[in-house]
This record gives sequence, C-alpha cells and structure tokens, in this order.
Amino acid sequence: MIGYIVRRLLAAVTIVIGVALVMFAILHYLEPSPAYAVLTTKASPYAVKVWDQQHGYDRSEIAQFLSYLGNIAHLNFGYSYKLDQSVAALFKENAGRSVYLSGAALVLSLIIAIPVGIAQAVKRNSPGDYAVTTLNFALYSMPSFFLGLILIQIFALDLNVLPVGVSGSVTTTWQAIAHPKQMLLPIVTLALLNVASFSRYMRSSALDELAQDYIRLARAKGLAERAVLWRHLLRNACLPIITLIGLSIPSLLAGNLLIEWLFNYPGLGMMFFTALSNEDYDVLLAYTLVGAILTVIGNLLADLAIAVADPRVRLD
Amino acid sequence: MTDAEDRSPEGGEVRAIASGWKLAAREYLDNRLAVFALLILLLIVLFAFLGPVFYHTNQSLTDVLNGNLAPGAKPIFGGGAGHPLGTDEHGFDELGRIMLGGQSSLEIGFFAAAVAIVIGTVYGAVSGLIGGFLDGLMMRVVDILLSIPFLLVVLVLATKYSGTITEISLLFGIFSWLVPARLVRGEVLSLRTRDFVVAAHAMGASRTRLIFRNLIPNAISVTIDNTTFLIADSILSLAYLGALGFGLTYPHTSWGDMLGNAQTYINQGRWWLVWPVGGLLVIVVLAFNIVGDALRDSVDVRLQRR
Repeated sequence: MIGYIVRRLLAAVTIVIGVALVMFAILHYLEPSPAYAVLTTKASPYAVKVWDQQHGYDRSEIAQFLSYLGNIAHLNFGYSYKLDQSVAALFKENAGRSVYLSGAALVLSLIIAIPVGIAQAVKRNSPGDYAVTTLNFALYSMPSFFLGLILIQIFALDLNVLPVGVSGSVTTTWQAIAHPKQMLLPIVTLALLNVASFSRYMRSSALDELAQDYIRLARAKGLAERAVLWRHLLRNACLPIITLIGLSIPSLLAGNLLIEWLFNYPGLGMMFFTALSNEDYDVLLAYTLVGAILTVIGNLLADLAIAVADPRVRLD
Repeated sequence: MTDAEDRSPEGGEVRAIASGWKLAAREYLDNRLAVFALLILLLIVLFAFLGPVFYHTNQSLTDVLNGNLAPGAKPIFGGGAGHPLGTDEHGFDELGRIMLGGQSSLEIGFFAAAVAIVIGTVYGAVSGLIGGFLDGLMMRVVDILLSIPFLLVVLVLATKYSGTITEISLLFGIFSWLVPARLVRGEVLSLRTRDFVVAAHAMGASRTRLIFRNLIPNAISVTIDNTTFLIADSILSLAYLGALGFGLTYPHTSWGDMLGNAQTYINQGRWWLVWPVGGLLVIVVLAFNIVGDALRDSVDVRLQRR
C-alpha cells in the first residue's frame, strides 16, 4: 500500500512538472515577456530590453522554465500587471466563493443523483427509467449556460420568485452564504449538470450490484426492500461515485466559469473571464495549471479513497 | 460484431470484418432512436447548407433601423415582408442567421474531430507498434495533456488564435486527439501480434507500411463512436467560446456567438433570439451523442467515456 502511494505520488509529480512545461511553453509562446503590458505598447525597444534584463526575461528558455517551476513550488503563480496584484492574492480573494458554489453544487448533485440512479436501476426499463435517462441525455448535451438561461426564464422571469443573477453587493464568501436566494439558481444549474453524468453511472453501478448474490441473500432472508436498498446496495453502489467525484474536477471548473459568467458571481471563473478579456496571461495560465494539478490530485485521491472504502481493492 | 469475428478461423479476418460491418449496420438500424437521430442530423445539415439557397437573406450588411423586430412583425423602414424568426439588434434575419451559424458550427465540429482522429490514430499506432520505453514516454505525454482542462487551455489560446473556422478547428483538434490515441494504441497492441501483421513484417514490410496498410485500417473502427462524441463536444465547446466572446469574427457567426447576449435578450423579452438557436444547438449535440451511443453498442467497443 505504502509502496503504491509513493509510486502514484511520484507519477503525479512527473505529470504536474509535465503540465507546468506545457503551460510555460504556451505562456512563452503567447507572451514571451510582459514588458509591453507593463510599459504600454508605446515603450521604446530599448526600454523593453532593459525591463526584460531587469526581470530575467532575457535568459535562456530553460533557465526561465526552471525559475517558473521554482516559483510554482513556492506557490508564486506570477503577477497580474493588468490588475497590479499577485496571482496568488487574486486566487486567495476569489477561491472561497468558487469553492462554496462548486461544493454546494456537488453536494446537491449527489443528494439528487444517488437516489435517482438507484430508483432507475430498481425500476429499470420502466417508463420512468426511460424518461429520466432521456432527461439526463438532454442535460448532458446542453451548454451549461443554456440550462442556466432556461432556469432564469422560468424562475426569475416567468414565476418571478428568484433573482436573475447575483447582485453586485455580494462580494465576500459570507455574503454569498447569507444570500441563499440569490445563490439558488447558480448552484442548482451547476448541480443539475453533474446529476446528468452522476446518475448515469449510479444507475449502471446499482444494476451491477443488484445482480450480486448478497442482494439475493438479503432479500431471501426476508429483509424489507428498503433495508436491502439503503443498507446493503447503497454502500456498494456508491463506490464508482468516489472515482467520479475525483474525475469531475475539470467539468466543475469549466462549469464554474460559465455559471459565474452567466450569473455575474465573483469567483475564480469570473477572474478567469476578466483575465481573458484583459489578455492577462499569468492569471490565465495559473488558473489552467491549478485546474490541471487539481485534476491530477483528484484522480490520485479517488484511487486512494477507493482502496480505503473497498477492502476488495488491493493496491501493490 | 464480435460474435462472428471471434468464431472466425485464423487468417479469416478480412472476411470476418466485412461481415462484421454488415452486422454492425444491421444492429444500428434496429435502434429506432438512433436512426431517428441520424435523420434529424441529416435534416439539420440540409437546413444549414441548402437552406440559404432557397431562403435568401442579407447576412453581411446590417440594417439597424429594422433591428429587434419580433417574428412576423412588418419592417419599420423599407417595407417588405416580415421575418419568420424576427431580426437581431443589427437587423440580421434570425432564421437566415441560424442557418449561417449552423454551417460554421457543423463545419468546426467535423473538422475538429477529423484533426483529432488523424493525429490520434497515427500517434496511437506509432506508440503501440514501437512499444518499450518510447511507447511509455508517448503515453505519459498523453497523460499530461489529458490532465489539462480542455476548455480552459482552449480559451487561453483563443485570445490570440480564434476568429476563423480553420483556426478554431485546429485549436480544438490539437487538444482532443488524446482519447483516440489511447484507443488506437490499445487496439494496435493486440493487432501487432496477429498472424497477418507478423506475416507482413516477415515479408519485409517497413514500419510505415505496417502502420498505414495493416494496423490503422484494422484499428480505426475503435474510434468510430468516439468521432461522433468529438463532434458533439466540439460543437459544445464552440458554443462556450462564442458565448464568452472568443468565437468567430464578423461576418462569420456560430450558434454560440449568437447566444453571447442571451441573458440580455431574455431579460428584454426578445425570446426569438435565444430559444430557436439554443434549442437547435441542444438538438444537434443530443443527436450526435445518441448516434455515438448507438454506434458504440453496434460496433460493441467497450470504452468509458469520461
């Protein structure tokens, strides 16, 4: 087990270094030096050269990459010259609200997807099963912002029970938590997108488990169907969900970007969108890099969590 | 198709695969939903590409005075017939615009998938045939690129390289060949020990010949369903790019570009600028996903889609 963890960690570190190399290459390709961003486009070539020398942008690519890697190791993700703030500070400022949005959405999607998937498996090939499968397929094929638009149209404009977006006065994480009514639409939109893929996996996992002997035994010994499902089936059928949560990180990040943009919610996704319009490459690549690192960590944790949760899995 | 193939004797692969394709086609045609989805796709392709031949609209000159007309409303200036789906804020006929946007959305979907399949197939076949250390290295590169969130990296590059159909297709293709590469490599690993490949090698076929004449033609079927998923994903990603403002530039447009201001449109009650184009977008992506799902069942390739 320990040997496995060490090997997986080493592999994860190599992948992260590889990702950093790709990110550095893209950054270097798009913007070899931020000199013009700092000194404005009117700067003289001489001034640019001096700035490059002062800030180390005249060194070889390898030297620059090594210092980029060193900076990342110290959690220094660069500097946003457009916003005159370090990228790390920007992350710190915005991360809380994004974690709240994604976390709430993730919990909500599990609360919906797990019972729905099990119910579908138990009543497989019934009209209800087909209806939910079709709905999931449609949700899966829908751009996240379009689902948001549909919900806005129904709940904000037609029924007029929820606000259209998050108001500009919500600037801190606590304010976001204190205004559940404003947060309901963004959270539900993001959650429904996850429900589509989660319940699909949950259904097939529950189908596999339902065919197992222990379920037949539990039924044979006269357990109530409820106990069979909730006590025996649920725990085993949920195992693939652990992996799925680990794998859902990229889609959560992308979802965050579109949902925060649509509902005007100030988080990491909004920070990324602003950076796109500003061509603020340090911020853009730092966020992408952090996303990649989270993906690697998510995969790793999912594998380890499976090993802990499922005694049948032997890692060595 | 595996049934027939599994039972076929050694050396009988060529005939077995031919009948396998026929079986796969029959299996596909048995799936009514999948046939329906294919039909819908065909209709939408005809609508987008042949529609403008019969339904002429001016999609290059703005007509702001007649902007924001509701469906069927008489033009305020210049007279003439109303617009079946109204006009947008620039005065473009919305129905004609949906056709134009559909063309670029579908083209980018197909081109991006083609780029990804070509890169992925060659990369996977080379990696699988070479084997050993180099194979390991090539697959680690795939692992690395797979852990970079697709939409984020594509958006970053789209700040400089987007605007034309070619640029966006290449951008998508360059970051989505990873799954096909893995699939083809897996298939090549099993193919390269088969007798017909060993025989070709013994007869002195070069590696290039092995890859392009023996391995790729036999391995390509594992990417078929993935291709349709790639098209669906590319159309979705294009919608995201367009909506965020990094899609095609004037005079081109895509369905995503048309939805960039959708939030404002629905707030102001201009529903005709949102639901028809958005609905069509969802239908197309849904249809491609259904076709892909059915293809997966009919060619019976076991793979998990992330």
